Amino acid sequence: MAVATDASSAPMELLVSVGKNQSTKTLLRVLILCFIAAAAVASRLFSVIRFESIIHEFDPWFNFRATKYLVAHGFYDFWNWFDDRTWHPLGRVTGGTLYPGLMVTSGAIYHALRALTVPVDIRNICVLLAPAFSGLTAFAAYLLTNEMTTSSSAGLLAAAFMGITPGYISRSVAGSYDNEAIAIFLLVYTFYLWIKALKVGSVMWGALCALFYGYMVASWGGYAFITCLIPLHAFVLVCMGRFSNRLYVAYNTWYALGTLASMQIPFVGFAPVSTSEHMPALGIFGFLQLVAFLEYVRSAVPSRQFQTFLYVGLGGVFGVALLGLVGLTTGGYIAPWSGRFYSLWDTSYAKIHIPIIASVSEHQPTAWPAFFFDLNMLIWLFPAGVYMCFQKLEDEHVFVIVYALFGSYFAGVMVRLMLTLTPVVCVAAAIAASQLLDTYLVYKSPVAPEAKEEEVTDGTAKKSKQSALRSTSQPVVGIYTLISKGFIAGAMTLFLLIFVQHCTWVTSNAYSSPSVVLASRMPDGSQHIIDDYREAYQWLRQNTKEDAKIMSWWDYGYQIGGMADRPTLVDNNTWNNTHIATVGKAMSSREEVSYPIMRQHEVDYVLVVFGGLLGYSGDDINKFLWMVRIAEGIWPDEVKERDYFTPRGEYRVDSEASETMKNSLMYKMSYYNYCSLFPPGQAQDRVRGVRLPDQGPVLNTLEEAYTSENWIIRIYKVKDLDNVGRDHALAASFDRGNKKKKAGKKRGPRVLRAE
Amino acid sequence: MKFLVSFLVLVFAAVAQAISSSGSRLLVILEDVAEKAGYSKFLADLEGRGFDIAYETPKSESLSLFHLGERSYDHILFLPTKSKGLGPNLTPNILLQFINANGNILLTLSSSTATPSSIVSLLLELDIYLPADRQGLVVDHFNYDALSASEKHDVLLLQPPGALRAGVKDFFSDASVIAFPNGMGQTLGEGALLAPVLRAPATGYSYNPKEQTETVDDLFASGSQLSLVSTMQARNSARFTVVGSADMLSDKWFDAKVKKVGEKDTVKTGNQEFAKAISGWAFKETGVLRVNWVEHHLNEEGAGNASNPKIYRIKNDVTYSISLSEYSWDKYIPFTVPESDDLQLEFSMLSAFHRLKLNPTISSADSTTYSSSFKLPDQHGIFNFMVNYKRPFFTNVVEKNTVSVRHFAHDEWPRSFAISGAWPWLAGIGATVTGWLAFCTVWLYSAPAATRESKKTR
Repeated sequence: MAVATDASSAPMELLVSVGKNQSTKTLLRVLILCFIAAAAVASRLFSVIRFESIIHEFDPWFNFRATKYLVAHGFYDFWNWFDDRTWHPLGRVTGGTLYPGLMVTSGAIYHALRALTVPVDIRNICVLLAPAFSGLTAFAAYLLTNEMTTSSSAGLLAAAFMGITPGYISRSVAGSYDNEAIAIFLLVYTFYLWIKALKVGSVMWGALCALFYGYMVASWGGYAFITCLIPLHAFVLVCMGRFSNRLYVAYNTWYALGTLASMQIPFVGFAPVSTSEHMPALGIFGFLQLVAFLEYVRSAVPSRQFQTFLYVGLGGVFGVALLGLVGLTTGGYIAPWSGRFYSLWDTSYAKIHIPIIASVSEHQPTAWPAFFFDLNMLIWLFPAGVYMCFQKLEDEHVFVIVYALFGSYFAGVMVRLMLTLTPVVCVAAAIAASQLLDTYLVYKSPVAPEAKEEEVTDGTAKKSKQSALRSTSQPVVGIYTLISKGFIAGAMTLFLLIFVQHCTWVTSNAYSSPSVVLASRMPDGSQHIIDDYREAYQWLRQNTKEDAKIMSWWDYGYQIGGMADRPTLVDNNTWNNTHIATVGKAMSSREEVSYPIMRQHEVDYVLVVFGGLLGYSGDDINKFLWMVRIAEGIWPDEVKERDYFTPRGEYRVDSEASETMKNSLMYKMSYYNYCSLFPPGQAQDRVRGVRLPDQGPVLNTLEEAYTSENWIIRIYKVKDLDNVGRDHALAASFDRGNKKKKAGKKRGPRVLRAE
Repeated sequence: MKFLVSFLVLVFAAVAQAISSSGSRLLVILEDVAEKAGYSKFLADLEGRGFDIAYETPKSESLSLFHLGERSYDHILFLPTKSKGLGPNLTPNILLQFINANGNILLTLSSSTATPSSIVSLLLELDIYLPADRQGLVVDHFNYDALSASEKHDVLLLQPPGALRAGVKDFFSDASVIAFPNGMGQTLGEGALLAPVLRAPATGYSYNPKEQTETVDDLFASGSQLSLVSTMQARNSARFTVVGSADMLSDKWFDAKVKKVGEKDTVKTGNQEFAKAISGWAFKETGVLRVNWVEHHLNEEGAGNASNPKIYRIKNDVTYSISLSEYSWDKYIPFTVPESDDLQLEFSMLSAFHRLKLNPTISSADSTTYSSSFKLPDQHGIFNFMVNYKRPFFTNVVEKNTVSVRHFAHDEWPRSFAISGAWPWLAGIGATVTGWLAFCTVWLYSAPAATRESKKTR
C-alpha cells in the first residue's frame, strides 16, 4: 500500500509543485482563457457549418452594406455619407444617423489584414467579427470578476459562462453582424475599467474607462445603460456614506472625458446635454461636486454651523437644480424621455401610443421560461452570487448588486435586454459557483490536523493549507467527509456538463438560423434549404433597373438594400414614422387609393412576403394589422382597423373576410392567382389554415412580375398610367375583351364638353 | 462634345428623311383600292411630302400592322369603308396596340356610311363618342353652302378655327373657308388628352337622317359641344385624329366653289390647305417638340464646371438649361413658347419645392435654349429636375433628371473662429487650458514631497 502510495505520489507531488509555481499558474490561466475563447468562437460557428458564411437577419445587412461602403470609399466619405438608396425620396443622412463603431472596427481589421498581406473578403470579416469579439468578452468577464473576488477560479468560471451562455450567443453567432457583436465586450470591459478606476482612484483608469465608454457610444445605442448605471452606482455609494476621493476622481474623470468622447459621434451629438436619458449622469456629476464641497466645508467649519449650512445649502441647490431641469424640459431645451424609454416602465405604453415600437417582436416583454432557456443554471446561481456580494460589500460589490437589480428589471420588460443582464448573471453565478467549488474541491480538509487525508500530501500541505484558509476566511465551514465533497463536486460537475450541453443545444437549434435561408426537414430526415428570399432578391438585382424603387414593408428594407442593391422606401431604421405609415396606407387601402401614393413615390416594384403555400407564418398577412395600425395613427379617417375584421371581430382571409380586407392591396397581392395552383375549390392557405374562395382577387394597377419557388416572395410591377388616358380598371377590362358600356345610359342631365 | 456629335447625326437623319418626324410608311385603308381616285389630290399631296403610301382593304389577308412585334407602318389613314366590321387584322385591340407603339392614325368618318363597329369601340376607349346607331349628320341652317346643299343644309361652311384657347399654338388656320360636307360630329369626354380642332358653329347640330320625324327630340349634341375634327394625343405622343367628313378631303371639295347662304360672292374652298394642315399634324410633320439636351451644373464661384452631376448639396446655386426644337414640315426650327404660356421647371421631391419659369437664353438656327438659375432648397433628399410641358397639339415634353441633394459635409461648415457667437466658448476653452496648466505648474513646484505623501494616504 505504502509503496503504491509512494509510487503514485511522486508524479503527483511533481504535478502539485508545478501547480504551485506562480508562473505556471499564469501560464495555465492563459491557456485556460485561450481554450475558453476557442470554445466561445467554436460554439458560434454552427450557422456557418450548417448553412454558409452569410450575413443573418435584417439589421446586419445594413451594417454589412455600410461596411462595404466604408471600405470602398474611405472614412471621410463614410462619415458624410448621404444614402440616396434608402427612404426614397427622402434619403438618409446615414453617416450621421448610425453608430459607426462596428463598421470602423471591421474596416480597421480589414485594412490591418491587407497590410499584413492577408487577402480576406470583407464579408468573412463581418461574419466572423461577433465570434471573435465573444472571445474578448469572455476575457473581459474574467477581468471584471477578478475585481470582485479573490478566488482565482471565479474569473475563469465567469469567462467560461460568458463564452457559451445562450443569452449572449443569441446576438453573436457567426453572421450576426450587429452592433451588439462588439458592444457587449465594450460594456463588460467599460464596467471592468470603471471598477478598476473606482478601486484605485486613478485618473488614468478613469480616462481609460472614458475611452472605452466612447468606443461603446460609437457602437451601440445601448450605451445609455452605462450612462445611467455608473451614476446610479455613484449615487448609491454616496447614499451609503461611501463617498471617497477615489469615487470623486473616477467619476469626474469618466464623466468629463466620456461625455466629450460621446459627443464626437454625430448621431449622439448634443444628446448628452439635451436629453432626459443623459440627465442622471449630469446630475450626479453636479451632486458629487456638491458633496465634495460639503466634505471640505465640514472639515473647515464647526459641526453646528455645518448642520444649518447643509440643510440650507444642499436643499437650495437641489431645489434650484430640479426647478431648472423641469423648466428646461418644458421649455423644450431638454428633450423629454423618448417613447422607447417610457415603454421600459410601462409595458403597455408602446402598444397604445407607438405601434411601430410595439410591432417589433424583440420589444415584447420577456416570457419567464426565456430566462431559463437563455441562462440555464446560471439563473439560480445568480441570486446566490448577489447574496455573496452582500457578504463582503465593498464598493465594487455594490456595483454588482445595483447592476443585477436593474439588469433583471429591464430584462423582464424587453426581450432584447436579456443581453445586458447576461454579463452580470455570469459574474454573479461565477462567484457563487467558485465559492462552492473552492469549499468543496479542496482535496485536503482545511482545519483539523486529524483529517484523514493529511498524511498523503504531507510534504506540500503547508502552503496549500494556508492559502485554503485564507480563501475561505471563515474556516469554521470545513467539509470533512470525502462523501459530501465528492457528492457536491460530482453534482456541480454534472450541472456544469448539463449547462454546456444545454448551451450547445440552444445555440445549434435556436440561434444559428440565418433567417434569410430557411431550413426544413425532408421526410427522410435530410435537410432541405428554402432559399426564396435570396432567389427573389437575386431576381431583382438582375432584372430591374439600377434605380428601380422597391416598396415593401419595412422589415425587408435592409435586405433589399443589401442583397438586391435597389432603393427602398422604408427600412428597418424606422426613423420616419410618417413615411412608414404612408407605405402602410398604400398596402392597406384600395388600389385606387394606393396607386397615386405609389406614383408619387415613384415606386416601380412592390414586394410582399406570402407564406400561405408553405405554411411560413412570418408573412405579411400576419403582420398586416400592424401596417393598418401604423397607418391609422396618421390617417385615422381613411384607415380603420375595425374595417379589417369581420362583423364578429375575427381576422379572416377566406370568403368571410371583410370587404375592406378583400380590397386591400396587400390581400390582393398575397392571393393574386393563388387559386390557380389548386384544383377548383381546394385552394388553401396553410398558415391560417383556411380554404380560400374560388374567385381570386383582381389586380388592375399592378402586374405580377415574379413569384419565388415556394411563393414566399411575390413581386409586382406598378403599371404606368394608361397611354390613352383611361383608368386602369377600364383598361384592364378592355384587355380582357369586355366592351365598354356606352355613356349616356346614366340618369340625369348629360353634361357635354363645350370647351 | 458627345451631344454635339449625336446632335449632328440627328440633324443629318432628319435631313435625309425630310418628311414626317416619325417615319414615312403610310397605310391607307379603304373599301376598294379603286376608290383612291376620289382622293387623288390629297394622296398626291401626301406623296409629294414624302410618304410611301400602301393601300389595303380591311378584309385583305396580307394586311398586318405588326411584323415580328414591330410596327409595319408609321401612320394609318382610314377612309370610309362600308363593311360593318374591319376584320381580324384591325380589331380595336390591335389598333390600340398600334397607338401604344407610337403609330399615328387619321380617321375619317362619313354620314353616308355606317362607321365600323371596330372603330366605334376604339373611339369609346379614347373617350370620343359618336351619335347613336353610328348614324348622324351635321347640319346648320345658317351656315350652309347655298350652291350645293340648299335643300339639305348639310354642307357647312366654317371659318378657320383659330387657337383653341389663349396660350395654345394655332396650326390649322391657314385655310380660308372650310367646307364640311356630309359629316358626322363627335362629342369628347373630359380627358386632357383630347382636343377639338374644328367645332360646329353655335347653330349646328347633329341628327339621325334615318329617323323620319319632323322634330329632333333626343339631340345628340349641338353647337360647340359638337366637334367636327377632333384630336387625341396619347401619353407617348402618338396622334389620333378624327375628321368628321371624309368628303372634305376629296378632290371634289378641294376644287369646289362655295357660296355661303346670305352672301353674294362665291369663293374657292380652303379644304386643300386645311387637309394639309390636319394631315401634317396627324402624321407628325408639325407640332413635334424635340429635347436636344438637358444640362444642369453648379453655378458657384470656385466650383468645377462639371455637367449634370449626380449629387448636389443643399443651398447650392444651380443652373438648369434645356434645348428645344420644333419640327415644322421638313426641318427643325427653334421652339418658341406661345404667347401667354410659360415653359416651367419644377424642382421636386414628392411635391415641387421650386416652380420656375424657364427663359430663352441661346437661340441657334434650329434650337432654343431655355434656362433658369436658382438656389437649391434647404432639404436633402432625392429631387427631380422636371420639365413637364404638355400642351394641346404639341408632343409631350417630360424630362425628369434625378439628382441627390446631400447635407453639409463635416468640413463644409464655417470654422468656429469665424463665427462671432462662438468666441465666448473659445475664450472659455482657452481660459480652462491656461488655468489647468497654471494649476499644474503651481502644484508641481510648490508642494513638498512629504506633504504630498501624507495627502495621498489620506
